[in-house]
Amino acid sequence: MNDQDAWHGKVIDAHGHLGGWFNFAIPDTSAESLVAVMDRCGVATMCVSHLLGVGPDARAGNALLLAELARWPGRFLGYAVYDPHDPQAPERLRDLLGEPGVIGVKLHPETHGHPLDGPGYEPAFAVAAASGAIVLSHGESGSPWSGPARFATVAGRHPTVPLLMGHAGLWPSGFAAAADVAKRCPNVVLEICGSRMTARHLARLVAAAGADRMVFGSDALFLDLRVGLGRVVLARLDPADRDLLLFGTMTRLLEGAR
Amino acid sequence: MIIDIDRVLGPIPGDDVASADEEGLVAELDRHRIDLACVVRSRALFYDPTDPPPRTVSDRLVPVPVLVPGPLGTGGSAARLVRLCPAEHRFALTGPHCLALAGDLADQGTAVLLGWESATFEGIHRLATRHPGLRLILTGTGYRSLRELADLMDAHPRIGVDTATLNGHRHVEWLVRRYGAHRVWFGTGAPISDDAGPRFQLDHLDLPDADVALIAGGNARDLLELDHEGR
Repeated sequence: MNDQDAWHGKVIDAHGHLGGWFNFAIPDTSAESLVAVMDRCGVATMCVSHLLGVGPDARAGNALLLAELARWPGRFLGYAVYDPHDPQAPERLRDLLGEPGVIGVKLHPETHGHPLDGPGYEPAFAVAAASGAIVLSHGESGSPWSGPARFATVAGRHPTVPLLMGHAGLWPSGFAAAADVAKRCPNVVLEICGSRMTARHLARLVAAAGADRMVFGSDALFLDLRVGLGRVVLARLDPADRDLLLFGTMTRLLEGAR
Repeated sequence: MIIDIDRVLGPIPGDDVASADEEGLVAELDRHRIDLACVVRSRALFYDPTDPPPRTVSDRLVPVPVLVPGPLGTGGSAARLVRLCPAEHRFALTGPHCLALAGDLADQGTAVLLGWESATFEGIHRLATRHPGLRLILTGTGYRSLRELADLMDAHPRIGVDTATLNGHRHVEWLVRRYGAHRVWFGTGAPISDDAGPRFQLDHLDLPDADVALIAGGNARDLLELDHEGR
């Protein structure tokens, strides 16, 4: 295996999902189909939340997540979805973070209609800080709920919590702002999935923020894992930066979370 | 042989891209091991489609004329593959002028690249119903449109799709198994959309080799009437 393929079999996908979604078709939502694609392209582990939890029912979605983590030990690690509208969410999150394979918290300010730096998410950050958990939040430049500036706000409030900015802000027009937040906030890490990202944008983000402050994510099985992975593998990146993106940075975060 | 059916040559507004000139574009093709690219000129997309495009020099690039119907348009073309941009160039896909142009293209066996966001579902359906012999290749369909795409592909056997943004979980495999690999074309839409992801996806499809070969370039080679050397 030459240096160009050294990443194969080691990849940790920091942003994945299980389940289906309402406003478009995913012909095969089985975990088996996702694992098959992971095997096909050299992804060792995917950190996932369940889309039922991201959508209407965090409690039921998190229960399904635990079942899948038990079924696929080592292949999936889990983010418990935190619903800021559930009065019992803090206690439930404490319990979930004690379950095997659960490594963090998934926040989705757009779906839940609550700003990332709003009071509804404060208990989630407090529990994450106490548990050493990673927080992954959807990030979207220009959004009233999850723009990069809100990540800077909560990162400052909770400096010990590793905070992944999902999609690095999603829109190319916001990538520079996302990189700026990562530079200013030591605990913010950019996660790079999204259908508008290109290998060209990715190389610029690495130059701006540093690969040690970025992690690979695919958004599978929302999106095709292979498309997101190829964007990293075939980008104009130094192999060392590529490896940090594909597994190095996330390995460091996971070691800190255990 | 790998042929990118959907690529743009020339500078684009809003970014600095390697494919701003032929040399840069060919270097990108080399880097991604793509043999040929069907290219539209960025000037035709973002400046004036009626302005005659400069000739390409490289034999790795297949010019794709961008057509505009009607008296203020470009006229027809004898090319094997053309592109229509009804939204960007503000003409009606199912207006009298475009229907007449589409009829000519169907008669001469010319295929049409049509961007998903440049037309409506109803417009594509009406065009394909009116000219069932016209080969339409829908580009940039994205991951949210599979149900609408399936509606069109079930109804119209001459409609195909490129892989540029066909980036939902195993969407390519689903389309091939339902409709056949002869209706799926490797394309990237670069540099507007990403080329690296679709290129990597092509190498990792869960399909028989013969199907992958059709998607990668077999379909395009047949359409462009090229030999196995791409000439």
